[in-house]
Amino acid sequence: MGIFYFVAFLSVFFALMTIFTKNPVHSVLYLVITFFTFTVHYILLNAQFLAVVNFIVYMGAIMVLFLFVLMLLNLNKDTEPMKSTLVKVMGAIAGMCLLATFLGAFRVLEGQNEYVTGNTDVGLVKNLGKVLFDEFLLPFELSSILLLTAMIGAILLAKKETKQG
Amino acid sequence: MGAIILLSLLGILVLYLGLYNAKSLLLPVSIAGLVGALVFEVLAWNSGAAPIYHGMVLFDNFALAFSILCIVVTALVLLLSQEYFSAISKNVAEYYCLMLFSLTGALMVCAYHNFAMLFVGIEIMSVALYILVGIRKTDFASNEAALKYFLMGAFSTGFLLFGITLLYGATGTFDITGVKNYLVANPTAISPLFYGGILLMMVGLLFKVGAAPFHFWTPDVYDGAPILITTYMSTVVKVASFAGFIKLFSYVFSPLHDFWTPVLLVIIVITLFVGNITALMQTSFKRMLAYSSISHAGYMLFAIIALGANANTSIFTYGVAYSLASVAAFAGLILVKRSHGSDQFVAFDGLAKKNPLLALVITVAMLSLAGIPLTAGFIGKFMLFRTAMADYHIILLVLAVVNAAIGVYYYLRVVVHMYFYPMAEQEEKLAVPMGFQVVLLITLFLTVMIGVYPNYIASLL
Repeated sequence: MGIFYFVAFLSVFFALMTIFTKNPVHSVLYLVITFFTFTVHYILLNAQFLAVVNFIVYMGAIMVLFLFVLMLLNLNKDTEPMKSTLVKVMGAIAGMCLLATFLGAFRVLEGQNEYVTGNTDVGLVKNLGKVLFDEFLLPFELSSILLLTAMIGAILLAKKETKQG
Repeated sequence: MGAIILLSLLGILVLYLGLYNAKSLLLPVSIAGLVGALVFEVLAWNSGAAPIYHGMVLFDNFALAFSILCIVVTALVLLLSQEYFSAISKNVAEYYCLMLFSLTGALMVCAYHNFAMLFVGIEIMSVALYILVGIRKTDFASNEAALKYFLMGAFSTGFLLFGITLLYGATGTFDITGVKNYLVANPTAISPLFYGGILLMMVGLLFKVGAAPFHFWTPDVYDGAPILITTYMSTVVKVASFAGFIKLFSYVFSPLHDFWTPVLLVIIVITLFVGNITALMQTSFKRMLAYSSISHAGYMLFAIIALGANANTSIFTYGVAYSLASVAAFAGLILVKRSHGSDQFVAFDGLAKKNPLLALVITVAMLSLAGIPLTAGFIGKFMLFRTAMADYHIILLVLAVVNAAIGVYYYLRVVVHMYFYPMAEQEEKLAVPMGFQVVLLITLFLTVMIGVYPNYIASLL
């Protein structure tokens, strides 16, 4: 349990650093570390597949993409949009309300719930594959349409049009 | 299921047609495919009692009716698209393909029986639209609309997913019957996570249908997107989202309706007033329709409040009426904009003299949207109000009637412009292409027919 509390502390700490740091590039780097601590959490929970995917896709691909975009955009103080205090206060209140609701819900939740403690091997790649290709075969196959749509769209938007629209 | 498979394959076939430059075939093949899908759906009528594919989809009459509506409206929109897309870009095939894929997603949302299918369906529907909204790459408004829609859509998907996760945490299943059984089995000891899940799913879906506190993207996106895509978004996507919404709340969450009814009541009242009052102030016909679509979302939420045997029928009838009238109104707008280059109310001046048929169709569409008797819109509103009345939501009903009255004012404004304002000097007649004539006449016929003989549609579900 000690290792969990340590990693959880790191997650919260780096998540807060992501928000509070002024430099956007630093912010993204802290977010990368936050995701890394999540990966550690997944390993602790015996969810190997999720850990690997989180590591490769989120930390590796998406965050690096983020970083590139930020560097290309060259953000600094001058380009930052004006944020009114009212919006900030409203955002803080709404966020805190959500947080309070969830903390309240988690507090009264019994930890010995069978879905929480039930099958600890469910996160292994072998079991995941069995579920994915049996029970969830239909959504799995149909998500290929989703990927195809996204691919067509990316090509369509990125391609140069010869004719002016 | 046949329809979903057929439409997926049709999208790929259309892509290949584009590859081999068979542009003249695109529309006929797409329409033929849609007719095929329609046949599949009609043949499956009254046969789907049990969920199939490990409980992933359920093709009961509710799902089939909404699927048929989506397919028919998509066919009407495609008939309008003949010269529309080719004026925008060379890659016409891809647009047809994206629309067909989006329709596939809509059908999945209509027929889901598992949250995984709901999520995949909503995503397919939305991702295709993010691209379609931004197809005018050189137009700034279109770019802005696409980006806004994408960010808001991604945001709302986050809410939806978090909601689904919490429901799974509480019940241990994604199957909607499983979730309902959990509610029925533990009426007193429902996990606190479940309540959070309901609220988050509600927020996610309200984003998708564009109801009031979550409507900020709607006017800009509907205004910035090409008119044809706006038509598709405000009809098919809205109807499919509502089908998913009502299935979730009237079937799964109905044992807990004391919990979520007050929340939804507040949202309905805000939606109606925001939509109608802002619609009053618009000078652009397109923007007016965008705001009025927000208020229509409010009316449709009525049916979810007043659960009961009639709720499905009334929301379906309203969806039919609203979709037909919207298609007709947007078709008229495309024609007017083509000849005037403007979508303001002023562009409609004197349309009754230039083209009496078009003016008549737009008038009937406006009357139907406003809910005047002898049109489909009246039947839709009447059935919704009746289901609300049966549940004694009198104050809500009074507010809704006030809003309907506000609606009449701004819908009739365009009619006044068409009939009572003189047209600008020396204008040639407005040409109506073949595809438009077919669509206008079909929508006119159906709107009036449902208005006069509502029994056919009321006894359907």
